Amino acid sequence: MQIKQAVEQLKALRAYAISKNVRATLSLHREDSHLVRLANSGVSLNTSEALTRVSVTAYADKKTAGVQVMCDLADKETLLEAVDKASEMLQYASPLNYSPTFPVIDESSEDRAGYDEGLAHISNEDILAYINTAAEGLENEDIKLSGNFSVGSTLSINLSTATEHTVVWQATDAQITLVLSSLQDKWEINAEQSAARLSDLDPKAMRKRLSFLRDKYLTCEAQQLPLGPCRVVFGAAATAEYLSLLCYLGVDGGMMKRDNSINLKEDIGKQRLSEKVSLIEDPACLDTFAIPADNHGRRRKKKAWYDKGVFTGFIWTQDAADEHGETATGHDVAHLSYSLLPGDQKVNELEELSALAKEGDLLYVPYLHYTGVVNATEGLITGTSRFGALMFKQDGSIVVPYNVRFTEKLGDLFGEKLRWLSSETTVYNTSSTYDARNPEALAVPKLMCCDDVKVEISNKSY
Amino acid sequence: MAYQWKEQLDRLMKAGAAYADVRHYPKDDSLFMVMLNGNMLSFEQGRESGFGVRVLADGAWGFAASSNMADITGTFDKALSNARAAAKRLTRPIRLADKEVLSGSFTSPADLDTLSVQRDFQADFLQKMDKALAQKGVSQRISYISAQSKTIEYYDTEGAKIVKHIRELFPAIMVRGKDADGEAQERKYSPPRLGKTRGYEIMKEEHWLPEAERIVRELNQTLTAPRCPHDVRSVILMPDQMFLQVHETIGHPLELDRILGYELSYAGGSFVRLSDFGSLQYGSKKLNVRADALLENSPGSFGYDDDGVKAQNYMLIKDGVLVNAITSRQMVTEANERAGKQIFTSSGGTARATAFYRTPLERMTNISVDPGTDGTLQDIIASTEKGIVLSGDKSWSIGSNREQFHFANDYAYLVEDGQVKEVVRNAAYSGDTLPFYNSLSAVGDESTWQVQYVPNCGKGMPSQVMQLGHGVPVCRFDNVKVGE
Ligand SMILES: [Zn+2]
Repeated sequence: MQIKQAVEQLKALRAYAISKNVRATLSLHREDSHLVRLANSGVSLNTSEALTRVSVTAYADKKTAGVQVMCDLADKETLLEAVDKASEMLQYASPLNYSPTFPVIDESSEDRAGYDEGLAHISNEDILAYINTAAEGLENEDIKLSGNFSVGSTLSINLSTATEHTVVWQATDAQITLVLSSLQDKWEINAEQSAARLSDLDPKAMRKRLSFLRDKYLTCEAQQLPLGPCRVVFGAAATAEYLSLLCYLGVDGGMMKRDNSINLKEDIGKQRLSEKVSLIEDPACLDTFAIPADNHGRRRKKKAWYDKGVFTGFIWTQDAADEHGETATGHDVAHLSYSLLPGDQKVNELEELSALAKEGDLLYVPYLHYTGVVNATEGLITGTSRFGALMFKQDGSIVVPYNVRFTEKLGDLFGEKLRWLSSETTVYNTSSTYDARNPEALAVPKLMCCDDVKVEISNKSY
Repeated sequence: MAYQWKEQLDRLMKAGAAYADVRHYPKDDSLFMVMLNGNMLSFEQGRESGFGVRVLADGAWGFAASSNMADITGTFDKALSNARAAAKRLTRPIRLADKEVLSGSFTSPADLDTLSVQRDFQADFLQKMDKALAQKGVSQRISYISAQSKTIEYYDTEGAKIVKHIRELFPAIMVRGKDADGEAQERKYSPPRLGKTRGYEIMKEEHWLPEAERIVRELNQTLTAPRCPHDVRSVILMPDQMFLQVHETIGHPLELDRILGYELSYAGGSFVRLSDFGSLQYGSKKLNVRADALLENSPGSFGYDDDGVKAQNYMLIKDGVLVNAITSRQMVTEANERAGKQIFTSSGGTARATAFYRTPLERMTNISVDPGTDGTLQDIIASTEKGIVLSGDKSWSIGSNREQFHFANDYAYLVEDGQVKEVVRNAAYSGDTLPFYNSLSAVGDESTWQVQYVPNCGKGMPSQVMQLGHGVPVCRFDNVKVGE
């Protein structure tokens, strides 16, 4: 999609809204997505989607109403109808007990540093070559390859009838998951990669991890773990999962006002987590697909929301700030590109965990499957280990554990139970493909070690 | 349009495709209205339109979709080239099970299409609900209406022509409050199947106001209740929890694509193996489960699936024994080949896609437990020595092969020696799937049976959200680990 042309078409739509006396924001979301899915060692699906969505949100005093259409930008009739419809809906909207702030974009911006032509147009052949390299020699009659290679580009354009200025953002992203699983025994191990540009793709690193885990799963004894507390080293996927939940339940002011947060207003300035925990948002981090300006055109700044464990305040989106009489913090954006800063433990690779286990058994949990928020205000989270857990024993041996379930509080895991964080970070891609393409990733220490994590359910087999 | 689709499908066949289908959505409309503490925070309408083409060539699938009706030829070509590329890493050429070639149509039963109802009716409804929920003990009150209305035209190279008009309505109300420890508690109501319609006519105040009163009352009981004990006891699952238990630990593990390893990179696999069909004692003899896509008035009934196969009603578990799965044309062929025998005779007609830009997958229809002979809820309570009645799904987390689970509930009360005792808060239970269903000791009669709807079942990559149903009675399971 030609950005210049798209901006012009949206400006024409803006002119139409103004001519109809409609106060509105207009936004475009364009995705060009490609996903190669693997199962049973073959490509099970190869899909391409080219989708354009245009959203119109109309504002009146104490009312808003929105319409989203999916159509080509050349389809003027549908676009004009969307403006008319949003305006018409206002009359049926119930009045709010506050006045929503109408977005006024003060200056135009265009952030395309995260767009990489090479990744945007990666071919089917190159994707297959990556997969073949990553899995080379690792499959057999029993061990099959599954996975997803999701790649694409996203373009967003925001403007409002208040000014002529536009906020443009474009980025490319790839999220790759490869799984090796045993048909007979049903174990499964994985390797994942996130890429913002073509040069980030590293199939050999994927193969190295798959090969290491495969070797352990084929040669080490498999065991049902006993129930009770243990020392756990979480991998990047598991850490990112807990961290996403910490951001969701800990930092959002609107969630706090809905009684859905682990923090209260009086917790601002207090030591809420371990001193080892510094959670920052970094709007300049291209690896996490950061969006430098929000939908209102406000440039974001780097900021710590937990500074050495001290909770520094809540994020207020414009809607939440308007509703609760707070000041918006400039976070009307699809995701916040968070980073959990690294620690001082110079243990960053799986191979190094054996040496560390001399102090006591270490259960390595790379990934958490299907987490559930059991209690939001307590920050109580349940989930099951998956994709390549290992138990590094004090005697130097390695055991392959069957999956286990933990139900733990975020405040404990990132608080008194936190033993160490790795000295190096990695980017973990947390994008979902449920709705429109919205690439999202977190920077996390490669490993996170917690004490006294209780095994609540222990599977009897894979 | 029909002529154009046929021409394009013919073109793909001439270019070497073995099979192709196209789904054109002239309109896929949605409405979402949310009122939270008196404020209408969301009032949104959406319209998606476009088409998706699925092509089988050189033994592999290719798919392409576009919202741009000016690029039909390019999109069909893309689907074919994607199939050809996929065929370069092929381990088993895809073959589709035979089907009856059909032309037909299906319309969800609804007198009033929610998308066509005057919007002020809906705003008025939300305001009334909000007012009814604004009571002592309630710190957050939420009411919402979510509705869809879509038209799907399906054509395939075998000659099928099917048109579906799918209409959905998922309204709900919810209250939240803080207990003495400052922890949030909540209670919600989303209606089960009411009468024979998916239309807006179910939004009758006389039905909703007593439900609003009830959830406020039950929230207040929970706010002052003691914590749920941590012990082992019988759990009596009300239909508004039993549906989720069935969904997660019978429905998902019996999807044949999961069993065959097609979801291993994301949603997960299944503990069920092909050798289990006909022999696995999934549950006690009291357990009878069916996939019933003919059940009247449910989002799990759709006339024809997105393989063009007619909707069916068949048993999955008979007297506790596993007998069938949730199946599609592709997977039944592969399963029979891999098993070296015929386990499945034909597609169960469960392949559905959530949007024009997604591909069909095995999806639950109405995965329902037949009513039993153990009487009413009162009868089941009366025969329970030490138990807990659990209602309302608060959280859920399930093992990747669906072999174990952890659920938490909004509302619970203890049962001792056949008597109802106190309400408790923070109730949760966990267990292993097979021992759990084999401990099924009571199945309620028709009076306890309800059809519960699921508006948001997630699966697949790229991911899809699907709507379906579960008809379930009150059920009791023994020796279950209960507690937070
Ligand atoms: Zn589901």
